[in-house]
Order: sequence, then structure tokens, then C-alpha cells
Amino acid sequence: MRISVFSNIASYIRSVFRGAWSIAESCTTAFPYILRWGELRKEITEGYPDPVSSKTADDLPPRSRGLLFNDIDRCTGCKECEKICPAQCIRVEEEPGANNSKIWVSVYDVDFSRCIFCGLCVEVCQPASLVHTRQYEGAAYHLTDLIASFGRGQITAEQRASWAALRQMSESDEVTL
Amino acid sequence: MTIISSEPVRADLTLWEIGPYHSSLPAPMRLKLRLDGEIIAQCEVETGYLHRGLEKACELHPWRAAIAYMDHLDPEVAIFGELVLCLAVEEIGEIIVPPRAQRIRIILAELSRISAHLVFMVRMAKAVGSETIVHYLLRDRERILDLFELVAGARFSLNFLRFGGVSADITDGFIERVLDVCDLIRIRIKEYNDIFTFNYGFLKRSSFVGKIDPILVKSSGMTGPNARASGISFDVRKDMPYIGYDQFDFEIPLGRGEGGIVGDAHDRFLLRLREITQSMELLKQVSDHVPIGEFQNEKIDKEYIVPPGEAYARIESSRGLLGCHVVSDGSPCPSRIQLRTPSVANLLAIPQFVSGIRIEDLPVVLASLDLGIAEADR
Amino acid sequence: MMSEQNSWIIAWCNSISFLSEIPGWAHALLALISTYCLVIVPSGALMVYLDRKISADLQARVGPNRAGPAGILQPLADLLKLLQKEATKESSWRQNVWLSVHTMALYSTLAVMPLGSMALLVDTEMSAFIPFWSALVLALGTMLLGLSQDSVPGWFGGIRVAAQTLAGSFPALIALLCVGVRAGNFRWSILANCQDFSPWSWTFLSNPFQFIAFIVFVMSGLVLLAIPPLDGGVSMSDIHGGVSSHLFGRRLSLFRFGRFFGFFFWSIIAVVLFLGAWKLPLQVSEGLRAQEAFRFLATIELIWLLAKTFFLMLFITWVARVNPRSRVDQITDFAWKVLSPFSLAALVGASICAGWKAFL
Repeated sequence: MRISVFSNIASYIRSVFRGAWSIAESCTTAFPYILRWGELRKEITEGYPDPVSSKTADDLPPRSRGLLFNDIDRCTGCKECEKICPAQCIRVEEEPGANNSKIWVSVYDVDFSRCIFCGLCVEVCQPASLVHTRQYEGAAYHLTDLIASFGRGQITAEQRASWAALRQMSESDEVTL
Repeated sequence: MTIISSEPVRADLTLWEIGPYHSSLPAPMRLKLRLDGEIIAQCEVETGYLHRGLEKACELHPWRAAIAYMDHLDPEVAIFGELVLCLAVEEIGEIIVPPRAQRIRIILAELSRISAHLVFMVRMAKAVGSETIVHYLLRDRERILDLFELVAGARFSLNFLRFGGVSADITDGFIERVLDVCDLIRIRIKEYNDIFTFNYGFLKRSSFVGKIDPILVKSSGMTGPNARASGISFDVRKDMPYIGYDQFDFEIPLGRGEGGIVGDAHDRFLLRLREITQSMELLKQVSDHVPIGEFQNEKIDKEYIVPPGEAYARIESSRGLLGCHVVSDGSPCPSRIQLRTPSVANLLAIPQFVSGIRIEDLPVVLASLDLGIAEADR
Repeated sequence: MMSEQNSWIIAWCNSISFLSEIPGWAHALLALISTYCLVIVPSGALMVYLDRKISADLQARVGPNRAGPAGILQPLADLLKLLQKEATKESSWRQNVWLSVHTMALYSTLAVMPLGSMALLVDTEMSAFIPFWSALVLALGTMLLGLSQDSVPGWFGGIRVAAQTLAGSFPALIALLCVGVRAGNFRWSILANCQDFSPWSWTFLSNPFQFIAFIVFVMSGLVLLAIPPLDGGVSMSDIHGGVSSHLFGRRLSLFRFGRFFGFFFWSIIAVVLFLGAWKLPLQVSEGLRAQEAFRFLATIELIWLLAKTFFLMLFITWVARVNPRSRVDQITDFAWKVLSPFSLAALVGASICAGWKAFL
């Protein structure tokens, strides 16, 4: 079937105008954004870090998983967190403390350069000493700065000896009692 | 993994190697193109640049840590990796999941699907060089990520699902916020359509480009939106329902070829846009039926050991059929976790259908496949 | 040459005692240098800033906000960053030759740049055609710059730019003829003088055919110089910007500024031809002339011209930001199959209109 020249021309002109119309429509849809017309178009990228963003650490949702913090006084050194950690970023060393009920957690290092903030360690922590803080700004200049140490520090040989003696004493006390 | 087309390599053509990093590639991979002028004659795909040994890593860690690893199967849509592992383990242990947890899982999965499709649209817009819509889309995805942060505490690596439920209950007002976000996105979709979807320039760039045959879909094992855009109606949510998808009424959109022909790049784009709408419908239905109750099977505590056995679970991720084969020998660590990821099939199909397109269309075609290299290389 | 048209530089020179004695060629040289340093470079900086800020508003972003108040110093920061970049690869002598040819072709147009009734260095009967010659040399330079790079993106970029330039120059020339038909000459001063301050007297509103000619002229300029949205030749997503893909540091900043200059120059020509040039209200310009306040007159004419130019450029940028980039074969198709027929129709119509007026 032969298509007439006129219908060809008509469809050509129609497609040109359709293209022009569609492009004009796209542009006019986006234009109100320049002037921020309407409630829905007011939302823009939040400036970070300045001007001070509307979102501070307090505005984060309650469950946000920020940097880890270990309250060493409550930590029992059970090493559950070390075992479950998928990234193996927690290192715990502990020794018997001055009395039988206390464990001296000498090293508790969290390597934030490896941490994936999955939250499993916090979940398994029985005494609930390990928590996620709301702190999320953890950038540092050196890799070593990313290791957070919560441990009580290594003890000296004399301390170890004296604590062992103390434990012995309390044990013998219990026996005598 | 190198994927080559079956034809013998012709030496009279220009060789152009792209990658592993190039702006036309959605993710690290390598393409060896044989060009006839500006037309691609043959194509070879080489992947493996994002291999992390994920399956092996899962075997080296406790069961619970494996969930955290599955988050990173596809970092954009973490929930699907978790979900498929949980479903497989629940099948082994015959764990009953409380209905409330099921609903929460559906809500999260559908939100992830919306967010993944928004990112797909971002890639598509970047491939054709339309900058404005990119920012609008990312702005709206941010609302969904806010919801994730509210419920799970993280925006990407949720680590929220547990065997037998979820790790925490949803907070008060969460469902209302989900509905608000749905309403917002429904308004925005109208804007996307005006600015981008039916823009003449975009239609010119994407319609009639990169058509995938239903035969190719079947031979390469493509699933998900790419297969549905070619007219093959297969959706795991409908055909093999899991986590209670069968209790809801939703339709699976199919490619109709409005822009050009069925199965072209624009069809795949439109299909995903429809899936967003359909996911929002589903969310609306689910939000009415979130029963009150526990969110975690109480028998599954921290000391739970998965009994010996094996199971295969499959779900519909945002990219297609995601399968997971889990073997347990009763030890604290998984014995084997093997994954069937949808993006591999998409990668396999590339050499079969890109010959004949212009190199300017290559970014559009690659973006329209929604390749997740992270899950293909794993 | 040293006519009344470039009296602005003489007026300025005479006010500085040691410059009043210099010969005519030095005047011309001084005019070129001061045009480049005082008009082109600041407009480039201002345009980059406005472009970034306005597209940020369009895209619901903040835009540059770190360098200076509201990021006003961002263009300077960009420039300094590009200048201090180290070359990662030795560039071949061919690349240097073609980059310099490309740059010279670009800036040779400075001499014919119409910047106001007092600032026309070259105002001959053929003035309006000289930019086309430059654009063609520019395309040649860009193409060979791309071909000399020994890389696939460079080859494709070069060939695509050449194809676009060939496709775009035909409708652009025809559209220029439409204006010539109305004005009766291709002298900048005459082309400008047939318009007036009021928009109704501007060429593009004088009749519908001139309006088509205006649209065709602007769009074919985009095709000719590969300016977004019709910039398939330097497409970013598949060939990494084509010709500029292997340029870095100083060379890249030279190339990029060259591309800006092309866009700027084309917009100025479009404004002069179609959008009322630098014409101020008659009383103002006549009054200033009568008082011999040539310097003041030249300055406000320039500002008015640049304001219109920036407006046109921002309009094009707005369209480019929202719409996708076209494929290069679609662009050349568009230029040959849409712009060319429309420009021919506009030429026929404009000629009939001009003849009708002459008959009346």
C-alpha cells in the first residue's frame, strides 16, 4: 500500500512537535524546583558537616548502631562477643582478678577499621556492658587510631602474685567458714 | 568467570576492552568488545572482580554471624540475602515463624524492592545522562533508608532477621510511616513519569534497544523483572509463595512494549516502575494485617544449634530468583551454604543479545539489566 | 579598522597618560587582551558558578558552598585544582600541536566578537560568517586531537565531533541567512541596528519564520559545538567524554574552557542576531553619545548584552539538565532531517516576508 506524501509529512511534523512538547513538559515539571514552589519540593540535601546539619546524634533513631562502647566495670570477659564477631574485630584478654567473683579484663580492643556494625556482639553480651553509642563520626588519620581500647591494662607480675595470694586467702576463708 | 559467545572470534574487527572500571559499566566487570565501526559485533564478559569468598566465609563463622555475612551478598538489598538464609534454616530446623514476624518480613522485603528499583532507575538515568531525575530518585530512596534505620538501626546492612523471626519488634508508628512513604512515592512517580519515563529523548534512547527474546530468557535462566519484561510470567512470590505472600492479592506486571517492542530496555524500565506501584499496593494490604503477638519464636535462643540436614529455599529478590542451599551437620557453623543468584543468568545472556547495538547504547542496555555484580561474584 | 567602532579602547587608553601615545595595532592588541581577560574569563567563572548553583537548585541539592561565601569562589578553586594536577602520562607532540590548533581556532574568534556598538574590532560585510570558519577549524582540531590519542574513546570522540559539526553547520548557515535577509547585510552593526530595545522589535519576534530560524540557529549551534543536551560527541557514559578522555590537568582545563568559550560565543551571536543585540532605549544611548560618555555607554551595552547571553545559556543548561543526552546518530539525524528542512522553510518564509515589505 502506498502511503501518500501528505500523510508522511503530517506524521513527520507530528513527531517533531511531539518531541518538542515532551521536552518542554519535562522542563516545566522540573522548573518549580528552582523556586522551591510547593511543600513537596522544599526538601533538599542536608548540608554536612556544616552548616550544622539538622540531624545530630540525638536525632538518630533509638536503634542506630554507632561506634561500640564497653563499660568495663560490668564486663565479665566471657568472650562471647569475640566468638560471634563476623569480622573478628574484637580482641579480649582476661585474667583472674583480686577475688574469685571478679575477672580482670586486661585487654578489650575493638578495631573499628574492621567492624561492620552488625550489632551481633551487643546482642550476645550477657551483662549488657557492650553497647552501641550514637556516635557515628569515627574518621581518623592513622589506622591505629581506629582501635578503641576499653581494657583495664596489663597487670604486673607482682600484682599477679599478690592477687593470687588474695584469692588463696579468700578461698581458705571460705573453707574455714 | 568468562562468558563468550558461541560464534568464532572475528579478527577483522576493532578490539575494545572496557573495565574493570568504566563509566558505562554498572559494576566492576570486564567487557571485550569487537566493534564493527560503532556497532558491537561480538562481546565477551569477564567477571570475578568483586569475589569475596562469601560462601566460604559463611562456613567459618557461627550460624548467627552468617546472617551478617548474607547482608553483604548484595549490599543494596541486604534483606533478601538474610531472608533466603533464614528460610532455608527454618526449613531444616522446622521452626515456626510467628505471623507478626512474617508480616514484618514482607514489609521489609517490599520496601527493599522499592528501594532497589529506585536505584535501578538511577542507573538508567545516569546511563542516558539525565542528571536531574537521579537526584530526585535518590532523595526518595532516602526515605526508605530512614525507615530501615528506624526499625533495624542501620541503613544498608540491616542484620535484622533471625532464625524464627526478627531481632526486634517494629517500633510504634512504623507502619504509619511506611504508608506515608508509600503515599509520597506515589506522588513522586507521577513526577518521574512527567520528567523522565515518557520523555521523548529517553524513549529514543531506550526503546527498541537491547531486546531480549523469550527463548534467550529460558536458555540463559533469566528470572525476575528482566524475564517478565520479555513476557515470561514467573514470580516466586506467586508461583511458590513464601512468608505468606499467598494471603495477599497482587498482580505480576508483564512487559507490554509501550515504548517500542516487548522486552526492550524501556520495557524493563517501565516494568520496574510498575513493580514499585504493585509493591506499594502490597504494603498497603500487609499493613492492615499485622497481628499482635510475638515477633520471634521463643524456642530459638542464643544457644540454638541448627540440627543436621539440608534445605533449599528460594525467594524473589528485586533481581529475580534468589536460591540458597544450606547444609548443616549439627555443628555451630554451617557446613555449606550455596547460593543461586539471579544476576549470573543476566550476565550469561549479555553476549547473546548485545551484538548489533551501538556502543552508545551499551550503558543503557547494561543498566537496564540491573546487574548486581556483588551477588554474581559473591 | 580603527574606526568609531573600537573607540572604547581609545577612550580608555586616552584616560591613562602613558597609553595615549601608542600606535593603532597596539590598540587592537590591547583590545583583544582586555576582552579576553576582562570579559571572557570573568564570564566563564560567573557562568560556571551560576550553572552549578542553579542546577543544584533544580536538582534539590545545595550546590557549591565551601569556597567563599555561598561557594562563590568555586570556579577559582576548580581552576587551581586542575592546574596543580600532575600529568600521569607523557603527551605526544601531535596532541600538543592539535590542542594548540584547536585553541587558536577558538580564540581567533575573539577579534570578530560583537560586544557592543563601541566594541567591534572587525565589522566587515562578512563578519557574521567568520565564526563558522572558526567552528570548522575547531572541529578539525578536535577531531585530530581525538585521533592522535591512540585510544578508542579518542577516535570515536573525534569522529563523532566531526560528524556533528558537519551536520550542524548547514542549518546554522541557513538560519543566519534568514537574519541577513531581514537586515540586508551581514555586518554586526547593521544586524544589530535593525532591532531595538523593545522585545517586539527583536528579529526572532518579527515574524514566525524568524522565530523558527532562531530556534534552528540555537539548536544547530548546540549540534555544531557539541554542547549539552546534544553532546553525543563527548558523551560521558560510554566514551568518557571522548576527546577529553585522555586529557588531564592544564590541558583538560584548556579544553574545557574552550568548550565553554564556544558555547558562550555562540550564545552571544544568537543574542546579537535574534535577541536585540546590545540595543538600549534610544534616549539612553543617544543621550550618552551626546554627552560623549563613551566608556559608560560601552559598559552598560556590554552588561545588557551579557545579561541576555547568560539568560540564554542558563535556559539551555536547564533543558540540558532535565533531558537525556541524545545518541550521536540521532543528533546528526536530527540536524539533517529536522533542523535543515525547517531552516530552509524559514529561509523561504523570511525571504517572502522581506520581499513583501520591500514591495510595500
